[in-house]
Amino acid sequence: MTPVLDFRAIERCFQRNVPVLNGVTFAMQEGEVAGLLGRNGAGKTTLIRIAMGMLFPHGGSVRVFGASPTEDPVAIKRRIGYVAEDQVLPPGSRIAELIALHRYLFPRWDGALERQLLDRFALQPTARIKHLSKGQARQVALLCAVCHRPELLLLDEPAGGLDPAARREFLETSIQLLNREGTAILFSSHHMNDVERLGGRVILLDEGKVRLDEDLDRLREGVCVAMVPRASAPDAAALERVPGCLRVRPVFDDWHAVFRGDPDAVQQSIKDTLGVNGIRCAHVPLEELFIEMVGGNRGEPV
Amino acid sequence: MQLLIHPADELPIYRQIMRQITEAIAVGRLKAGEKLPSHRDLSEQLVIAPLTVKKAYDELELLGFLETQRGRGTFVCASLPQPDAVRQMEEVRDTARKLLAQAYLAGLRYADLLQILEQADRALSAPAKEEEKV
Repeated sequence: MTPVLDFRAIERCFQRNVPVLNGVTFAMQEGEVAGLLGRNGAGKTTLIRIAMGMLFPHGGSVRVFGASPTEDPVAIKRRIGYVAEDQVLPPGSRIAELIALHRYLFPRWDGALERQLLDRFALQPTARIKHLSKGQARQVALLCAVCHRPELLLLDEPAGGLDPAARREFLETSIQLLNREGTAILFSSHHMNDVERLGGRVILLDEGKVRLDEDLDRLREGVCVAMVPRASAPDAAALERVPGCLRVRPVFDDWHAVFRGDPDAVQQSIKDTLGVNGIRCAHVPLEELFIEMVGGNRGEPV
Repeated sequence: MQLLIHPADELPIYRQIMRQITEAIAVGRLKAGEKLPSHRDLSEQLVIAPLTVKKAYDELELLGFLETQRGRGTFVCASLPQPDAVRQMEEVRDTARKLLAQAYLAGLRYADLLQILEQADRALSAPAKEEEKV
């Protein structure tokens, strides 16, 4: 089956020799949900814009529904929905006018879904965009992005800056769409709780590459964090040599190391390799895992 | 059904659902034969992915707590498994992980381990066969 979205060895710089994306490869199938994670500047927005045909990659190739997003942009955009944090809607127009424009552009427009979302978000069709709150404007953007029932929804930090209730409504709408239409969703987010709720696959970008690409539950149950006294390993490399080690960083008096494997087995394996006691190993929620995978060193310099 | 989900919990969401459903069955809040909400309804109610609900239901079905009747929905089983079936399953999984880790540490490959398991299985069933002959 042709993937709905296919990135192959994507490269992109904004300054010479400073790659933001340096060989990013992954594909998404129909109906799949993937959370795109990474620190600020990790290239999440760049990657989503490349999928939208808003940016060219400097290397590699991107395919959306098996075609280049810049070759036949109209046909492809009719099958995509897109919401971004910094999306600008025409300030002077009324909600109804903006919706009318979208209805005209998208032949598959679903009037019933439009009325349902207007009602759920309590939006006044006669209101002008410039008079809306940030949350309401994002809701209008979401409505415009989903009412043509897209096969692929690209959400670039869609809940950024929204209050918890508005974020939850946004999530509800995404899940409803997933249930009713089987839409594939790629969303970037810094809200790990939202990522846990939407589930599916987690893709972590770091230093221009895909650091992790795995089913969320498998990641939660198959990866653990070990805390090892700083004195028991001469340097990070000693821990990195232990099988299954994904990353090591110093945190005050300990090393924090992310390992693939069961906590008990990892603990045993560190003990066997380094011959030390006083190791703690545990499964951690996604937020902690994110910090351990891409967070910086803490405490005094090594 | 009243379920409460905490995304930042130590347990993944599907395990939280599993635990709460088995607890509800244990204390009689969910009765044998009772119908559970569909994947879609529960997913929208809890604002979580439908696949997460499916995964929880599927695991509970494997453990013998729930049964799916095609076209009718998911129900609590009429005869429930022994109270500690979940723990036993967990323990087997746990042992399996430890066994794998031990094997990998010893430099064995997955295929080697499978062979060892097959040998062990033959050894276990051998006396039974002898009894059959008698």
